[in-house]
Amino acid sequence: MAKYDAIFIGAGNSNLTCALRLVKSGKKVLILEKNNVPGGVATSFIRGRFEFDASLQELMEVGTEENPGVLYKLFQDLKIADQIRFFHVPTCYHIYVKNTDQEYVFPFGIRNFIDKMEEYVPKSRESVETFFHLALECRNALKYIEKKQANIRYEVLLNDYPQFIKIANSSVEEVLNAIEMPKKAQEILTAFWMYFASPIHTLSFVHFASVFYEYIATEIVIPKKRSHEISLTLAEEILKNGGRIQYLSPVQSILMENGQAIGVQLENEEKFYGNIIVSGVAPSLVYSQMIPKEYVPQKALQLINSRILGGRGFSIYLGLNQNANEIGLADYQYIIMDSLDSKREYENMNQITHSNIRVTVLNNANPSCSPKGTCILQFTSFFSGDGFDKIVTEENYFQLKEQIAKRMIESFENATDILIMPYIEEIEIATPVTFARYGNYLDGSIFGYKVTGLDNILPRLFNEANEIYIEHLQFSGSYGPNACGYAATYLAGDQLANRILSLEEGGKEHE
Amino acid sequence: MSNKNLNHLHGEKEFLNLSRDREKIIKKTSPKANFEYTANQLAKKLHPKEQFVKVAQIISLNDHVKTFVLQPDESAGTLKLAYFKPGQYISICVEIDGGIYSRPMTLCCSPKCALKGEYRITVYRVENGIVSNFFLDEVKEGFHFKISAPLGDFCYSSIRDHKNVLALANGYGILPFISMAEAIFDDLLDCHLTILYEAKTKEDLVFKEKLDDITCKSKNVTVVYVLSEEDDNEYESGVIDKKLILQFKGEENSYFVSGSTSFYARINDLLKELDIAKKFVRHDLFRGEIELKNDEEFSLTVLCGEDKCTMKCRGSETLLQAMEKNGIAAPNHCHVGVCGFCRSKLISGKVKTIDENIRMADKVYNYVHPCVTYPESDIILQLPN
Repeated sequence: MAKYDAIFIGAGNSNLTCALRLVKSGKKVLILEKNNVPGGVATSFIRGRFEFDASLQELMEVGTEENPGVLYKLFQDLKIADQIRFFHVPTCYHIYVKNTDQEYVFPFGIRNFIDKMEEYVPKSRESVETFFHLALECRNALKYIEKKQANIRYEVLLNDYPQFIKIANSSVEEVLNAIEMPKKAQEILTAFWMYFASPIHTLSFVHFASVFYEYIATEIVIPKKRSHEISLTLAEEILKNGGRIQYLSPVQSILMENGQAIGVQLENEEKFYGNIIVSGVAPSLVYSQMIPKEYVPQKALQLINSRILGGRGFSIYLGLNQNANEIGLADYQYIIMDSLDSKREYENMNQITHSNIRVTVLNNANPSCSPKGTCILQFTSFFSGDGFDKIVTEENYFQLKEQIAKRMIESFENATDILIMPYIEEIEIATPVTFARYGNYLDGSIFGYKVTGLDNILPRLFNEANEIYIEHLQFSGSYGPNACGYAATYLAGDQLANRILSLEEGGKEHE
Repeated sequence: MSNKNLNHLHGEKEFLNLSRDREKIIKKTSPKANFEYTANQLAKKLHPKEQFVKVAQIISLNDHVKTFVLQPDESAGTLKLAYFKPGQYISICVEIDGGIYSRPMTLCCSPKCALKGEYRITVYRVENGIVSNFFLDEVKEGFHFKISAPLGDFCYSSIRDHKNVLALANGYGILPFISMAEAIFDDLLDCHLTILYEAKTKEDLVFKEKLDDITCKSKNVTVVYVLSEEDDNEYESGVIDKKLILQFKGEENSYFVSGSTSFYARINDLLKELDIAKKFVRHDLFRGEIELKNDEEFSLTVLCGEDKCTMKCRGSETLLQAMEKNGIAAPNHCHVGVCGFCRSKLISGKVKTIDENIRMADKVYNYVHPCVTYPESDIILQLPN
């Protein structure tokens, strides 16, 4: 029986990146994927004359060729950058707030953003500038922490990132209040909380500010041929380097020996053995269903029990038989909010009746993404709790999802005064049930575990090593320490690969 | 920078305690929990990986058409059948003379039947059809089969479609509309369905009785029978043409088309003439026509995991057909290149295909759908699993 250096459960972003790094270092890897394409939800599907992206709306940390971001550098390092064509997203976002009937349009670039905010909220300039200073420091500190992992030196942090240390444990709301940002500016700036599916009074400032900084300061891109282009390029590169990917191969259980993970077993009972098992499947599912009870330490169960599931995804994919500009869709990204109070909206988002959505018009970044005279729209939203799960049944499922989608589309039309319903040529709707089926997401929580309180990313990163309860078993993907998001998961995969490689080197030294 | 106020925040001490505080919370949490995920459980019910059924009853509609009533095969582990949308199909797998064949078969009953533990499929005889003849001549009550979850999106959408649906069907194309009509009668579907049902003779209108029964009871279903090779005053005669469509269409309509390949070609021309927007024309699984010049015999080598298998494949046969005949259980569902389930990598060789449903990036790396791909040279194909 062949033994692998690493076996990956699932071919999601993290696992693909990690596996590619390992094969390039001469390791023998096997990826077992339940679906027939790589990427997890970083994939695409075809309906009629449209190819829809299943999840990507914007890719951060890519930057430009002259000023490449960390993700682009990683892709260059893995020698896949040249094979993917990126388009820059031209406009930042356009917010519509329904309860006040206000609109805010923001450009990219920090200077532009600050000026625009000053227009909307006079006297906000100083505090918004302060925000971006802090955000940059947080971003750099976070990069240092992610890079150094177990070897973080507190003195370095204290010396190089003194402000960061002061606010590392604070919520977005606490810091914005402390820097005396006007309430209205706070609300507008934090409409971006939807990206994290966590309200600003419990979401870590460090996490929010680092990502937001990246979003505003550097360019956002999307790949030409949907996220599937990146997933497939990674997968093909793994194959080229001698790695193995087996599709339609759902892993049923993790094989254990002396308390250590030693392999996996497929649903068809086929077994594979490896030195390390990397699970893209959530710890909650692994500990509760994929490992025999006697091997699961109490601590592991306490950990998964202490965590809250993040947003349960709901997406609508529309192919319209009209040109985007002709019907008035001028921007790339629209954010429609019932109100700007994140605490209130987060609670409301447990109801299926909410209409907080993000809508991207793919053609406004990638003009040739659909045939002439058509365009592609992607609506994404989420439910904050089990509100959807509690109502949905086998019998009402198909009607319920149409009903929710219809309300969200109407909400977009009402807020923007742009008519889209008559032009819908193709429609597909993904619910928490779809994500649960396709990617094994727990109750469809595509955001992974909720980033909140002491399950924000800093405490996760600090405790990552302590929270490995089963030897030779690692977790990756959106349920991992870096939380969800495309850039986050690719980068996390690379960090994991480096950790696995350095562990091995360390092991050799011991011998 | 006006951030002196930051000093009032938790600061350094808290930072150092982040790790410990997290541990404290975890230690306080109970290890007992109910790890049951409603959405995941529902996903398994709606989209089971496979279902096992047995033939409970066979209803002969004429010498060449039979309806098979399928029920869960509890002995094989299927206790309930998955719910479905009217217009969907299942893929059924049969072994005949060493070959492994799968065929998409439309569920021609109300979704309500699934809840009562029953699916219905109807098989029409196809000349020289291996699977259809097997079903019509060999399959008996009590036979066991493996089938897929319900699949396909030839379904009414209250968001996309007009409330008036004009269904255009010939022959076996009537099957999805049986399901839609029954669903309307059961209050599961909210639209007005007018079916133009074309057949050669009265004898071919095998669902007339059932449809008449529904139209009597439901004001939302209307059926117009059209006979192409028999004259009868009570029926429309000829084929579905522009005049008939204009006569029976409502003010605004969605057109649902289902039938033979030549029927699609004919109806599509008509709808084009009537200038109907693409969004209002939906097709059931439909195979485009392809011109195949040679019927030369090529060698097809299939790689699956660490296994390798070589067989013959004629130029007039799809890669999937060759694999089926040779007993290779390659993944497949729809057989017309739309579901994407058979996606496989062409390692070497030249092929011809009518495929319009390959992802852009898949094209770059030579992925094909074997169900609509014909060889033009010797082929090496890598299966996904």
